[in-house]
Amino acid sequence: MSVTLPSTRTPRWPAVRPWIGIAARLGLAAVWLLAGASKVGDLAASGRAVNAYQIFPYDVATVIGAALPFVELALGVLLLLGLATRLTAGVSAALLVVFIAGIVSAWSRGLAIDCGCFGSGGQLAEGQAPSYLPEILRDLGFLALAGFLLIWPRTPFSVDGWLTGDPAVEDEDE
Amino acid sequence: MSSRKGRKDAARVVREQLARERRRKRTLWVSVAAVLVLVIAGGIGWSLYSSQRSDEFTAPPGANDAGTGIVYGSGPVTIDLYEDYLCPACAQFQQASGDTIDQLADEGKARVVFHPVAYLNRFSTTEYPTRASAASGCAAAGGKFREFTEVLFERQPPEGGAQLSNDQLIDIGVELGLNRDSFGSCVRDGTYLPWTEHVTEEASRANITGTPTILVNGQPVADRSPEGIRAAVEAAS
Repeated sequence: MSVTLPSTRTPRWPAVRPWIGIAARLGLAAVWLLAGASKVGDLAASGRAVNAYQIFPYDVATVIGAALPFVELALGVLLLLGLATRLTAGVSAALLVVFIAGIVSAWSRGLAIDCGCFGSGGQLAEGQAPSYLPEILRDLGFLALAGFLLIWPRTPFSVDGWLTGDPAVEDEDE
Repeated sequence: MSSRKGRKDAARVVREQLARERRRKRTLWVSVAAVLVLVIAGGIGWSLYSSQRSDEFTAPPGANDAGTGIVYGSGPVTIDLYEDYLCPACAQFQQASGDTIDQLADEGKARVVFHPVAYLNRFSTTEYPTRASAASGCAAAGGKFREFTEVLFERQPPEGGAQLSNDQLIDIGVELGLNRDSFGSCVRDGTYLPWTEHVTEEASRANITGTPTILVNGQPVADRSPEGIRAAVEAAS
């Protein structure tokens, strides 16, 4: 009697996990592609958005601002393909932690800036209140997606899976 | 019998080890490739940005020594104005306090440095902030910077879309008495586009993160009303 209950529950997680995984992978891919695409059009503005945090010297901020949109696009493409998913998720998580730290730092120093996460950025117009908390919560949500993929990187329809073959099949190799 | 089975087992163990080794190597190479893709992507961004930048610029006549803005009026106090021709708050500021600033300049109380920065290109499909700023350099060359700036803010197009074309900018200049040939070719050839880039970059470097920013003797002025500007200038002189 008591055996039937867990036995019906346990197979559910392995069955559901790959689909949560692919949703997380494609969701995070969309985040990076949107974030990158919104900035590539004006790399100088992207540099100014980084500079608005007043963390890096201006010249360093312009390098970060110019490189970041392309790194974001590359992360999006890698996640979309499902190539090196664990590594990509790790880099994504690291970047998101840096972004969150940047927003927290801007908030604590009383700066009135837009995070510049999806384009725009820089100082807010008068009467516009910064929305640091929603920005942080949103980034924490993205961080959860990255964390899931970091723990369970194998998802359906991925180049990783195609390259390695299904582990279940490989073990029955004999 | 048992030794045969043992050999078979040993062979299987070796095969599995080899397969594991293959998988490990494959993961390693895939990771190396992914890291390379990310590094190359960042490099592309940086080189693209560097190639877009121009190294040399010519400041229009009437610019300050650093070439970061157009100077008018003279006086013991310096007012720096950082404005984008597409910024609605700048148009409001010009409407409210533009006359006061002009009076302070004309009364010999203040030296005004107007920095026409191009921060808002993302709200234009035609880089209007950059083109308008470069055109203001052409107007400065013809001695009509203040008038041109005033009209551009009066007729400020909304954010988003194409805003004013070069031909429309030229027509405005001609209305103000600028020469259609010299002003027109200056706007069309983008003579002062590198200067606009210099103005914008130096403003960013000075941590001017938004427009309008008004500095009186280097200090930001929070109250941008005519009274606020006058008070700040009085206090500084």
